Amino acid sequence: MIRFLAKRLGQAIVVILLVTVIVFLLLHSVPGGPARGILGPQASPQAIAAFNHEHGFDKSLVQQYWAFLSRLLHGDLGDSYTLNQSVGSLIGQRLPKTLVLTGLSTLVALVIAIPLGVWQGRRRRGLTDYTVTTLVFVGYATPVFFLALILVIVFTEKIPILPPQAPQAQTLGALFADSRALILPVLAGAIATVAAFSRYMRSAVLDNLAEDYVRTARAKGASERRVVWLHIMRNSLTPIIAMLGYYLPVLFSGALVIESVFNYPGMGLLFWNAAQTSDYPILLGTVLVIALATVIGSLLADIVQALVDPRVRGSIR
Amino acid sequence: MRRRSPSFPATARTPLAVLGVAATLLVAGCSSGSGQGGSSATGGTPQQGGSVTFALPPNATPNWIFPLGTPGHLAGYNSAIRQNVFLPLYAYNGSSGTVAMDEKAGAAKAPVYSNGGKTVTITLKDGLTWANGQKVTTRDVEFWFNLAKANKAQWGNYSKGDLPDNVAKFTTVNDTTFKLDLTKAYNPEWFTANQLTYVTPMPQSAWDVEDASGKVGDYDRTTDGAKKVFKYLIGEAGKLSEYASNPLWKVADGPFTVKEFTTTGQVTLAKNAKYTGDDAAHLDAVTFKPFTSAQAEFNVLRSGGVDYGYLPALAVSQQKTIENSGYQVKPWNGWAITYIPYNFNNPEMGAVFKQLYIRQAVQMSIDQATISRVIWHDQAAPGYGPVPQQPVSKYLSQDQKNNPYPYDVNKAKALLTSHGWTIAGNIASCTKPGTGADQCGAGIKAGTQLKFSLLTESGSTETDNTMQELQSSLSKIGIALSIKSEPLNSVLDHSPECKPNQSTCSWQLSFFGTQGSWYFPAYPSGEQIFATDGGTNLGSYSDPTADKLVKESTSSSDPQAMQQYSSYLAKQLPVIWMPNPAYQVSAIRNNLRGVVQDPLAFMQPQRWYLAK
Repeated sequence: MIRFLAKRLGQAIVVILLVTVIVFLLLHSVPGGPARGILGPQASPQAIAAFNHEHGFDKSLVQQYWAFLSRLLHGDLGDSYTLNQSVGSLIGQRLPKTLVLTGLSTLVALVIAIPLGVWQGRRRRGLTDYTVTTLVFVGYATPVFFLALILVIVFTEKIPILPPQAPQAQTLGALFADSRALILPVLAGAIATVAAFSRYMRSAVLDNLAEDYVRTARAKGASERRVVWLHIMRNSLTPIIAMLGYYLPVLFSGALVIESVFNYPGMGLLFWNAAQTSDYPILLGTVLVIALATVIGSLLADIVQALVDPRVRGSIR
Repeated sequence: MRRRSPSFPATARTPLAVLGVAATLLVAGCSSGSGQGGSSATGGTPQQGGSVTFALPPNATPNWIFPLGTPGHLAGYNSAIRQNVFLPLYAYNGSSGTVAMDEKAGAAKAPVYSNGGKTVTITLKDGLTWANGQKVTTRDVEFWFNLAKANKAQWGNYSKGDLPDNVAKFTTVNDTTFKLDLTKAYNPEWFTANQLTYVTPMPQSAWDVEDASGKVGDYDRTTDGAKKVFKYLIGEAGKLSEYASNPLWKVADGPFTVKEFTTTGQVTLAKNAKYTGDDAAHLDAVTFKPFTSAQAEFNVLRSGGVDYGYLPALAVSQQKTIENSGYQVKPWNGWAITYIPYNFNNPEMGAVFKQLYIRQAVQMSIDQATISRVIWHDQAAPGYGPVPQQPVSKYLSQDQKNNPYPYDVNKAKALLTSHGWTIAGNIASCTKPGTGADQCGAGIKAGTQLKFSLLTESGSTETDNTMQELQSSLSKIGIALSIKSEPLNSVLDHSPECKPNQSTCSWQLSFFGTQGSWYFPAYPSGEQIFATDGGTNLGSYSDPTADKLVKESTSSSDPQAMQQYSSYLAKQLPVIWMPNPAYQVSAIRNNLRGVVQDPLAFMQPQRWYLAK
């Protein structure tokens, strides 16, 4: 296990380094650099030269990358060109907010999707299965911005019981204190995810229902409840766990549309706006965080899967 | 191009916002909305106190408070907010009905020019004090000049030859009067409106420090000292989260002080209890609230969560709903022009663009009135020249006012055919090359076809529709227009000023779209955009007469100079004049009064009040 972890950790560091190299090269190969975008067309050549000098764009790519890397090793992600703050503090502000939103949405989605998938698997091809499948497909196919707006219009205007924007507080404590305002954004994020997870769960349950161990359990006189909720569900969770692991970067990268509609500045918007304004340090910083989340997510998925599924354990050495 | 102060207009700009608003319209339909049944916008008793929430445009995050902004910190609502805390020497705004000096909102009395425009004497207002009790004196102005001079390379507004280069000598006459000797004679109006407005007295008695020890001295009087002081102050200005608590920024002389300044961009200004001028605030507090998208703002506006907000462009049809909720809906017109530059140095089409008759034909093919009415729902106004068409000002010539080239496709077509172009299959080809009166013109070879390519900003429905309309109407006169949409920054990158032999010179026409209107300072001269050596003369337009007129408008004291410039360029068409969109379509709560939507995009919240 330790050998496995060390190997994966080594791989993770290489992957993250490669990601930084690729993103760095891609960004820095944009002709003209970010100066024009940041300073605007009225900027004089002197101002552009001063900007390029200040941010090291007048040096070779290798020198620039080395400077970036050595800053990174000191824990410094650089300063945003446009927001007058360090990238570290920006991510520090946005990431917890984003994780609250995406984490809660996923949790809500799982709480609904897992039982729903099992229930549907058990009643496959029945009227209720078809009805739920249709509803789930509608939820999955509806663009999130449209869904979010329907929720806003219904629950803040037609039946005004919820506020139209997410909590505006800066701290996590204050964020949860205004929990009513979290309902709509969390719901908007959860609906599409419910669809994805419940479909996976349903098909996993269907596969497992045909397995020998189910027949054996039934033959041994296990109650149907025990067969379904203990044997089938546990075995059916494997694909969901794998999916959740790979879902981690999604949690970290934020929910751009929901953040945008509900006035909730998180990681998604930070990245989107930085891309619009050529704010390279933010782009590099957020890509790094997402890359980190990706490798950690896949590692976690493997470990948890091994804990749940003894068959997988053998391959982890 | 440039937005002088707030850098993002509020209308829905991003594809996300556009989608969102479109979806709202779908969901909400055309329902008139029961709303809260607002009161009328007139009458009522003015009251002192209260607070108001103002919605900032999407992603316009205020991030700078220090009066000398470094590059990258000039955008946003920084200067609009700062002017209410640290009074500029002179303020210009639209409170008089047109763009003019607003003496009440500045720190000095009107300047006196002498010596043929080479000397200016300025007297500060009596009785104006900083929050620390010290008088606002000429020393505070000298402090600004010293810092600006020693650190001009880092000052974002610096342009070579302009302030502080054009001030040869700063002379203190007494505590409240000082004299500036200029390097040459300038047009007084230009100098006051476009140069002196940058000067902001800064509390030397509190800010003239070199390090965190806070020891105040006369450090700014040496170049080295001024650099150290500037470095220290810039360092402090970089600590966004300390704006509301740092004692430096508490030393205000304006009607407001900073009460809250969050890292996410929410700013609350509180009435400055120690303000001693004659323009005190009525309200206790004004909160500038940031929004992630126009859609998010619109959702909050519909539920009554802001007092002064805006409608995304696509939601203008919901005006009635918002009005029924207790708001007035009013366009906020900007002191700007909107245009498409021709690249006169483009190796393929440069020679074509240089022909005035071609530019006339193109201009006459653009139905600005219809574009403004249909595509912009009347939230844009046609523009016919280099001076803002609205509000009407003394700078606007009759020629520009009356539109020298009204929409007339037949006339446009005739202009081409009478100059040696033959239109076949909707494409005009030059069949009579040469420089005669009925020939195509210098540099245009036989067989040249009128095929233009246009680079345009993506993500705005109005811009997309306008470009489609342009394509359609130009095709009627034999001009094929190919449109390429890119994000704004990319458009800016791809349309630089260039020489014909440079690879960057392949662009022909470029439109910066709804975010790209050119916002002027108070004096709308064109030295930056239409002079041969202008810093943002992207299309390399060069005309000796235009240069002469531009120069006169900035250096002679002839009041007619601007009108002559307006008239000449309206007729010469250095660019394609386009309808100028409103800065934003505002929704102002009915009981919020005293609001002037300043075309310069500044704000005077000290004059806002709530009516009972």
